Amino acid sequence: MVLCDFDAVFVMFQTETEVFEITDFTTASEWERGVWNEKTEEINFADFKFCITHHFLEQEAENLTCDFVSDAFPVAMQDLLCMNNDFPPRAHCLVRWFGLRSFVVVSPGANCEAVISESKCNLLLSSVSIALQNSGCQAPVLMQVQQKWRRLFTGECQGPGVRVDFEMVHLHKVPTHYKNLSGLLDIFKNKIGCTLSPLPPINISIRFTYILQDWQQCTWPQQPPDFDGLFGGEVGGVEFGKVPFGACAEPISELHLAATWPHLTEGIIVDNDVYSELDPLQAPHWSVRIRTVDNAQCLLGDFLMEFFRLTLCSESLDEILGRSLTEEEGDHADISSALQKLTQPSASVHISKLSVSHMVHSARRHMRRRRYEESPLSNQSLNTALLFLFPDAAVEKTPEKSSPHSDESQERDADSYLHLKAAPLDSLTHRLALCLASVNHSQGGLRAVAHLWQEFVLELRYRWENNYLIHGLPSGPPDLRCCLLHQKLQMLNCCIERKRSRDEAHRGQSSGGTPPSTSAKKADSDKDAAPTTSWESWSDSEDEFYECVSDLSESNNSERKPEGRLKQHRDMRLLHTHQPLYIPVTQEPSPLTEDMLEQQSEVLSKLGTSAEGAHLRARMQSACLLSDMEAFKAANPGCVLEDFVRWYSPRDYISEEHPDEGEVRGGLSARMRIPGNMWLEAWDSAKATPARRQRRLFDDTTEAEKVLHHLSLLKPSELVLQLLPSLILSALGKLQEEGGSGSGRGAGRGAGRGGGRGAGQGAGRGAGRGAGRGAGRGAGRGCVHRCCITCLC
Amino acid sequence: MEDDVLTTLKILIIGESGVGKSSLLLRFTDDTFDPEQSATIGVDFKVKTITVDGNKAKLAIWDTAGQERFRTLTPSYYRGAQGVILVYDVTRRETFTKLENWLNELETYCTRNDLVKMLVGNKIDRENHELDRAEGLKFARKHSMLFIEASAKTKDGVQCAFEELVEKIIQTPGLWQSDTHGRSVTLSDEDAGGGGCGGYCSLL
Repeated sequence: MVLCDFDAVFVMFQTETEVFEITDFTTASEWERGVWNEKTEEINFADFKFCITHHFLEQEAENLTCDFVSDAFPVAMQDLLCMNNDFPPRAHCLVRWFGLRSFVVVSPGANCEAVISESKCNLLLSSVSIALQNSGCQAPVLMQVQQKWRRLFTGECQGPGVRVDFEMVHLHKVPTHYKNLSGLLDIFKNKIGCTLSPLPPINISIRFTYILQDWQQCTWPQQPPDFDGLFGGEVGGVEFGKVPFGACAEPISELHLAATWPHLTEGIIVDNDVYSELDPLQAPHWSVRIRTVDNAQCLLGDFLMEFFRLTLCSESLDEILGRSLTEEEGDHADISSALQKLTQPSASVHISKLSVSHMVHSARRHMRRRRYEESPLSNQSLNTALLFLFPDAAVEKTPEKSSPHSDESQERDADSYLHLKAAPLDSLTHRLALCLASVNHSQGGLRAVAHLWQEFVLELRYRWENNYLIHGLPSGPPDLRCCLLHQKLQMLNCCIERKRSRDEAHRGQSSGGTPPSTSAKKADSDKDAAPTTSWESWSDSEDEFYECVSDLSESNNSERKPEGRLKQHRDMRLLHTHQPLYIPVTQEPSPLTEDMLEQQSEVLSKLGTSAEGAHLRARMQSACLLSDMEAFKAANPGCVLEDFVRWYSPRDYISEEHPDEGEVRGGLSARMRIPGNMWLEAWDSAKATPARRQRRLFDDTTEAEKVLHHLSLLKPSELVLQLLPSLILSALGKLQEEGGSGSGRGAGRGAGRGGGRGAGQGAGRGAGRGAGRGAGRGAGRGCVHRCCITCLC
Repeated sequence: MEDDVLTTLKILIIGESGVGKSSLLLRFTDDTFDPEQSATIGVDFKVKTITVDGNKAKLAIWDTAGQERFRTLTPSYYRGAQGVILVYDVTRRETFTKLENWLNELETYCTRNDLVKMLVGNKIDRENHELDRAEGLKFARKHSMLFIEASAKTKDGVQCAFEELVEKIIQTPGLWQSDTHGRSVTLSDEDAGGGGCGGYCSLL
């Protein structure tokens, strides 16, 4: 076994001319610790069934063997001698008794009686011995004999020229003289029957384990969960945005304290029936462990588990809610009830604050339902949930931009969970996860989740159709580190934003009659303004159209009026006309979600690696370049490719000083001058067209519809899978929060339980080592840090 | 043939325009050099299978355009990359000083933080060096990267750079294994030990 330290790898490479070194400063991530694994097989011997299990530690590189032992010995024998593995935290008892890393256990199968008679034991043992010999297996094989509860094993291990017998002694009652180290050493020496004289010193590791089982009388260290606050006494009084925490009953069944003296040599410490130096308070190593009760009722775990279970259902939204909920019905009663709802005082709390359009919208929404009493979520809880998700619906709708939540969002250690494909804390997506999980937990499960999701998608559509931005989402293109759902929501927001700015520009033009040149100037002054000024507005303006025609008729395009200028580019001047060089207003790149991106990269990579493929690929991606060139031409009448390159790819314009002529001359780089290269080609085909009159690179209408379509077809199980990381993020935050306050309360609990010290089950290790273990004795101190999360998988 | 390929790796090549990204790639995949390599538009893509330490790996290498304007387009392709080659031109200091920007870009757009980074100082065949080896080394050390100087024109260091990068990726646990093995979170039951053997034994 070789231990590699990657931080120290330094590789030299020799080539003919020079020494090339790769210097490695990357750091390898931490090696994972080993995981215990087991494989079980059953065999029948006549009518008797045996269960054969191979237990083994799966390790990547941690080296537990000691180097001084020759490799010729079987690993198991080396393990026996190795002290590093004495007290594994969680392993089969044989591991703890013998320090093995790989072994086979043969035990009577289910419904078979234990092997009790001595002759049967011997028969089995000799069969094992023959099997080992024939197979050359070097892993120890241990037979479980006697009653199962006694955990008594006997077996052997064979290597080339060596053999180890594993034997155990099990006493029902520990004689007093074996309750201390010297007594144990006596029995151990006696049992190994070593003929060497003097007997070499025996290595010892000692651990006393103190177990506290009955502690109901002690005070509860943690505040019991506040059920009233969490789920509210009243219907619909759910507090969204919080995850429940706490156990409904004491989740800890046992507390273990281990005091350990590792690596001792016989004679260093005195421990006999009259005197002991083994004072646990002086032990060099302490460790604490808790055992939890089976199936502890823990709110957070249940909360997560219930949400997780939704991923197992394969039904679609329609199947869950039934057709009636999704189809519009022309029933008059529904309309009247919906209208009645508008005047209902109980619902008016926030409706009164809503704009009329929203009122109409929600009325329409409720018409789709036969009767809201029959829907999975009560009207009130639905409103509470929607208000929690869309807090801006309650305030006057103005085109304000700031999200009410983004500022106060706790940035609590979010960075450490970046690898979770979740959504930012307190974003809409995150709140949706919490909200759906709450609804699932306490308001009707799957059907309620489906119902709320349906309403959520309706609200999104309403916002898209009415140009209201979705609040609680970070602006900008979809963040690929977040879950796809979050990206889709961001995408929808991008679409709304573009549509809005387009409409605004449109409105500005039709009402004020502002000529396009001034609107471009406006963009000049405001750098941050979305440069996507009205793609469609040109169709309304006849002037613009005329200009295009005159463009064609006049061959001298330097006379053309400049359009779509963003700002001057430093103090650069055009090479031919010596006019200032302007950066044009350009089209923004299309935002992409990861599934779109995947599709796109697949298309690009499918073109293959041939020259034609590469050419086609470049052509497919040149739309953006062409659009920029057209915009540049429009902003800079009389410009040439050199001008464009000086802005776009400055290193491809090479200027040389000519001191004799007293001027600087320059030209395109070699690669830009290659005849027929894509840049030249694009430049030649580019017509002077400002960005706002170009064909849109990003079709917000189609994209928004695609997103909404995708969302409406999402199955609840898929939805939950997307949201689960966000919920886990919240759960982790909650654990951290509770852990911080809980440990203080839990600490410092005195616990003293007397008990005789017993060193039971003295198992002799073949190599001459004894391990004393005690249980009992009062523990002076205890420090408990509790957190309970049940497993998800 | 596909059967013995251990894994497919996604490698990125990034850096300022004109530092020789496409030339490095062409040298590696086709062992040729084209002084008239045209400027990349958007992203380009090449595939090569290499064997490192007896492990066969298929490399899907994404070559990107270095121009500022393309940076709105190219970072979306950073997603899922296991390795990145960051190139600068040893004869042009500004391509080196901009490296910080590229690292920030990586930080922002890369979906994994354990990807292996290699710094390559290209064009060492040229005379007029503005940067010496020590500066590259220092930068690489500071940012935990592999480092090599190379020349796409004379072949020096090119093969080496790719091989080292791949070797490093394969050595990094959890970076290239399929998602079901390396990346997933495994939560195990407290009492997985089963029987009475899960805890410490006590005998009273």
